[in-house]
Amino acid sequence: MKQLLVFILFATLFCWLMFSPVYKHVAVLRQALLQQEADYMLEIGASGRFGYIDGAMIAASRERLSQYGFQPEQLEYEVTTTNGLSGTDPAAPLERGSGLRLVIRYPYDGLMNIDRLIGVEPPLSTARLAAAGMKMSEYVP
Amino acid sequence: MHKLVFSFLMIVIWWLLHAMQLEEETALGTLHEGKRAVDRAAHAAAQQVDRLKLEAGTLSIDPMAAQAAARAYLAANLRLEPDLEPRAGEWLDAKPEIVDFAVINEQNVFPYTYRNAAYDYEVTLRRPGVVLIVHLACPRVFGVMDAIEWDLKGTAELVIA
Repeated sequence: MKQLLVFILFATLFCWLMFSPVYKHVAVLRQALLQQEADYMLEIGASGRFGYIDGAMIAASRERLSQYGFQPEQLEYEVTTTNGLSGTDPAAPLERGSGLRLVIRYPYDGLMNIDRLIGVEPPLSTARLAAAGMKMSEYVP
Repeated sequence: MHKLVFSFLMIVIWWLLHAMQLEEETALGTLHEGKRAVDRAAHAAAQQVDRLKLEAGTLSIDPMAAQAAARAYLAANLRLEPDLEPRAGEWLDAKPEIVDFAVINEQNVFPYTYRNAAYDYEVTLRRPGVVLIVHLACPRVFGVMDAIEWDLKGTAELVIA
């Protein structure tokens, strides 16, 4: 009986130790997916054909990311430029020499709440996973 | 008693393994972030056409403007201060070092092969371009692994529309 009890204790302890931090990889993976998306959008947006990241591109990006399980309405996109233009207007593309900057943000979604069990405070509800980048536009009118 | 000792030992070993894995993951993420930043910096530097020479019909890169653009884009993409010093609260905690910055201009015959034996780098350019090598140290949270440092290399050619 004692042997059985020890076995059960050991089994639960080791299972918990092995698998408890696995959920952190969800955060790592989401961050990587956001970064991949930001890189792709900058590559396209700052290319010689466009010079902007407009609403249609952002909508397409939400669609792509939702296929990986992101909630499309919770994704936040922020486009800024180094010369003061909005960078989102197809009628006023960013000319070569100016930088196009994109930040994509997504909430942690309570992923770290389970950390409370071991006394670690999760990130604030206002904190966001973010992926960013700045690329020089190649667009020449 | 010995079972208790064994289980404590296992707890320590598992947590060390988890710490090491998280650290490896973040290090790999930092490597990719650094490489992207170097590529974008080289790309921005290579777009700095020398306008005076362009008027004379020569495609050439202005080395001073190129250097400034490379530093600005490196700082922006790695979230550093404009002088490349680390910013408080951001991930990188050491200043990256630009160990080589070469502007390959119209004086050379293209295709031109740039070679750097010290950093084991070789690249062939078909147009004027910029080669950038940056030394970056990865911050460590747990200290489970040895220090990780990289020499990140990036090259970009002048984009001709």
